[in-house]
Amino acid sequence: MTLRKTIEVVTKLAERRVIGSYAIAGAVAALNYIEPMLTEDLDILISIDGFEKRSSGLLLLAPIEKALADMGYTERTNVGYNVEDWPVQFLPVSSALDEEALADAIDLDISQSGETPLKARCLRAEHVVAIALKVGRLKDLARIQAFLEQDAVELALLKAVLEKHNLTGTWKEFCIKAVIKNPLADTK
Amino acid sequence: MSKGKQYPDNSEIFARKAQGRRDRARQANFAEKLDAVDALRARVAPIIRARESRKRDRREGKANQS
Repeated sequence: MTLRKTIEVVTKLAERRVIGSYAIAGAVAALNYIEPMLTEDLDILISIDGFEKRSSGLLLLAPIEKALADMGYTERTNVGYNVEDWPVQFLPVSSALDEEALADAIDLDISQSGETPLKARCLRAEHVVAIALKVGRLKDLARIQAFLEQDAVELALLKAVLEKHNLTGTWKEFCIKAVIKNPLADTK
Repeated sequence: MSKGKQYPDNSEIFARKAQGRRDRARQANFAEKLDAVDALRARVAPIIRARESRKRDRREGKANQS
């Protein structure tokens, strides 16, 4: 019951085409760039192709639920599907930013040394930061600060993403809240 | 707080800690960090269980009072 096994199950869902494009998002994606920190769950950003959409806009993730059940994962909590003892939340793309983040995701090897390489998709640093900014909970803002403090995001790339998705104002508000000088001010 | 008392400057300690975080962020690859999160989770599990148990006790205590 490890996070690696949980991600492996997600890769199997992709192999079986239960989910289309996907990428590890949130705190676990941040792990690729900043120091390890505790997290409660695994967020997986997924494309909406192939899922039934209700007139209310609600997307039905029944195919995922069924595939997980077929693989023996039937437990579901308010945090997500329980896969190898880790709650997994599948988050359908809900904005142009999400869409771009998913398209630009990178492949990471999650295998242990000596094992057959196992690739999983993961969001890029600038998208992890931009999405955290947009979500805007305190823990998201703390994550952004960790990226900045640990020089874990390329500022020019981040600036371009924020400008493209109209998040520059939100970024300035974050800098005021965090009591930091805007690191993007002098970035070209 | 006495006036004019001298306090140490801790900025160097904070700078060292920040450097440590930067180093830890770069030293391990993603797979190693996944292991680190599992280990961290296992270490805090007893604390979380105890917290949940206290919460449950408080809830049940309140329910018994009402």
